[in-house]
Amino acid sequence: MAAASSSDSDSGRAESNEASSKWLDAHYDPMANIHTFSSCLALADLHGDGEYKLVVGDLGPGGQHPRLKVLKGPTVLTESPLPALPAAAATFLMEQHEPRTPALALASGPCVYVYKNLRPYFKFSLPQLPPNPLEQDLWNQAKEDRIDPLTLKEMLEGIREKAEVPLSVQSLRFLQLELSEMEAFVSQHKSRSIKRQTVITTMTTLKKNLADEDAVSCLVLGTENKELLVLDPEAFTILAKMSLPSVPVFLEVSGQFDVEFRLAAACRNGNVYILRRDSKHPKYCIELSAQPVGLVRVHKVLVVGSTQESLHGFTHKGRKLWTVQMPASILTMNLLEQRSRGLQAVMAGLANGEVRIYHDKALLNVIRTPDAVTSLCFGRYGREDNTLIITTRGGGLIIKILKRTAVFVEAGGVVGPPPAQAMKLSVPRKTRLYVDQTLREREAGTAMHRTFQTDLHLLRLRAARAYVRALESSLNPVSVTAREPLKLHAVVQGLGPTFKLTLHLQNTSAARPILGLLVCFLYNEVLYALPRAFFKVPLLVPGLIYPLETFVESLSDKGISDIIKVLVLREGQSAPLLSAHINMPVSEGLAAA
Amino acid sequence: MGLLDRLSGLLGLKKKEVHVLCLGLDNSGKTTIINKLKPSNAQSQDIVPTIGFSIEKFKSSSLSFTVFDMSGQGRYRNLWEHYYKEGQAIIFVIDSSDRLRMVVAKEELDTLLNHPDIKHRRIPILFFANKMDLRDAVTSVKVSQLLCLENIKDKPWHICASDAIKGEGLQEGVDWLQDQIQAVKT
Repeated sequence: MAAASSSDSDSGRAESNEASSKWLDAHYDPMANIHTFSSCLALADLHGDGEYKLVVGDLGPGGQHPRLKVLKGPTVLTESPLPALPAAAATFLMEQHEPRTPALALASGPCVYVYKNLRPYFKFSLPQLPPNPLEQDLWNQAKEDRIDPLTLKEMLEGIREKAEVPLSVQSLRFLQLELSEMEAFVSQHKSRSIKRQTVITTMTTLKKNLADEDAVSCLVLGTENKELLVLDPEAFTILAKMSLPSVPVFLEVSGQFDVEFRLAAACRNGNVYILRRDSKHPKYCIELSAQPVGLVRVHKVLVVGSTQESLHGFTHKGRKLWTVQMPASILTMNLLEQRSRGLQAVMAGLANGEVRIYHDKALLNVIRTPDAVTSLCFGRYGREDNTLIITTRGGGLIIKILKRTAVFVEAGGVVGPPPAQAMKLSVPRKTRLYVDQTLREREAGTAMHRTFQTDLHLLRLRAARAYVRALESSLNPVSVTAREPLKLHAVVQGLGPTFKLTLHLQNTSAARPILGLLVCFLYNEVLYALPRAFFKVPLLVPGLIYPLETFVESLSDKGISDIIKVLVLREGQSAPLLSAHINMPVSEGLAAA
Repeated sequence: MGLLDRLSGLLGLKKKEVHVLCLGLDNSGKTTIINKLKPSNAQSQDIVPTIGFSIEKFKSSSLSFTVFDMSGQGRYRNLWEHYYKEGQAIIFVIDSSDRLRMVVAKEELDTLLNHPDIKHRRIPILFFANKMDLRDAVTSVKVSQLLCLENIKDKPWHICASDAIKGEGLQEGVDWLQDQIQAVKT
């Protein structure tokens, strides 16, 4: 609760009103019909004319009509259909030659489509995988008409359940079919050899041998069969292959391929694996407690967003640095890099329509959008350096420009440890006694523990015995006998010499009233005088509290007080049902007089 | 001022000098406009992005203009304010085809108008809604709406649609500016 309220106040500070906002609203089109994720957005000067364009791998409404869109300013420049849903879009420089216009790579299904100058240039397909021999055998039999489609279906289903090598696309499509369609499908496809190909899940770029802004970059692909591939930028051959324990979904790279690089891959099993240049297998592993929803590298810190509505910061060796809690679940993440001020921060799009910008743990800014944000991209767009592109769940497009004068300041002084932590405590010097005791504790730890345990048990035993004794002699103010469940509670009021003693008596039974009870006071007659030391209790209706009042006169003028015992008795029985000891206060009225 | 100078001034031979600031975002066409206003033998053929600023001179029928052609690039825009004091008029150039950055132009204009050196002076501002030749250019009326020019109450201003490459609309603007400057002087 406290965390939630503090984060609210943080957002209040970081969020600025219209006039002093850090952002200019350049464009908002709620009907832009762009449905995509951050990985499918890229900004690049595709024509080399200084006008940066936005490349969108659009999934289409409901993921139905995937399209490649290129936007210039607020308008769509070109649009072309894609054969399959896009997985990632990236722009990179392929070669050193002038003019240095970047190529566009779009990963979709098992292929990477490379465009130059917005024209198709190259199609890279993932290498084929060996098909399951059993499946191959079945299709061969079908080819020779030795088995009918129904048997084929049953056999294939058997393979799908058990086999380690998954089925080919052809078989999977066959299994989806209705009975009537099977025959036609088999006759159409039986002569083709079955192919098994994996699909690309994620893609990013890695500089080849120079760290410059405009250096040649390799493509890095993550595939569904748990591999990472690095492609040559010119020949599109596979330069390196690395295997992972799970399917990668987000990739972050730093360094250069020919020199040294680090790859961080967030995988579907909820782990982030970190690989280095020479390692074919992960070098470090970060085990998250929840599924990752985004991975961003800020300088040397890996920031992972998880489904537990939180951001975590890790070092490149997998050591956890910090965690920040979000007010809603994270939908997307991306990097914000303001080059002119050397600032790198993480943007997180949340389900409640907020975009939060964090620099390490500190919240820098909150942008509210009318809809939940599904993708974010920050960079040079058109001719403006610091442009933020947001697309929303409803297909809306929002373009915001960071003001030239805007400076991100960390809201509130919550950075670093609290000031109290830096204060030096005046810890006393270690005395001889302290050292001796510590040594003794270290040596005879077991014996001391045993002694303590014995004493503790003895104490418990004694307490239990006292309790039993109290129960037996009805010394306690609560009676738990089956016939008369009663509760007594006494209050003394007044300063003296006359006190008012009120007994609250309650019948705690569910339904049965109690009749024929007596109350008796036992007291020192030298010190106190009571008008009636013995009286009858009226009928006790279950549940109600009966206040029984009596006055107590203090006779002594020496400022002494004593105990008055209250006994609740049943008519005709000598053993009391309940008893209470009342510690009478000293009579102040008399002392004053 | 010598006797001869005064005489020539009276006769209209020697023109009065005015300092004008030429402002606007990068790639809006400031340098192209200034270049086009220069006599045709002094015009340069290719225009490159201005670094920092450059000083250009040209003459109209009765005034001699000294123009501070400021660079519009984001990193040089903080230089503008150092020249506000000297400017007797402002030319603000807008790229009418850059719909996206109209907000940036507005932001820069608002900062300009709220600057202490400008705020309390009755300084004429001439707006050029430039690049009218481009297909996706918006009209000068639309530009003045987008920049909320109607809110400028205490300064004379004027907006001209222009095409700096062909030189259309430039003379109209300069004539207006000349009239305003002379009105302020007298």
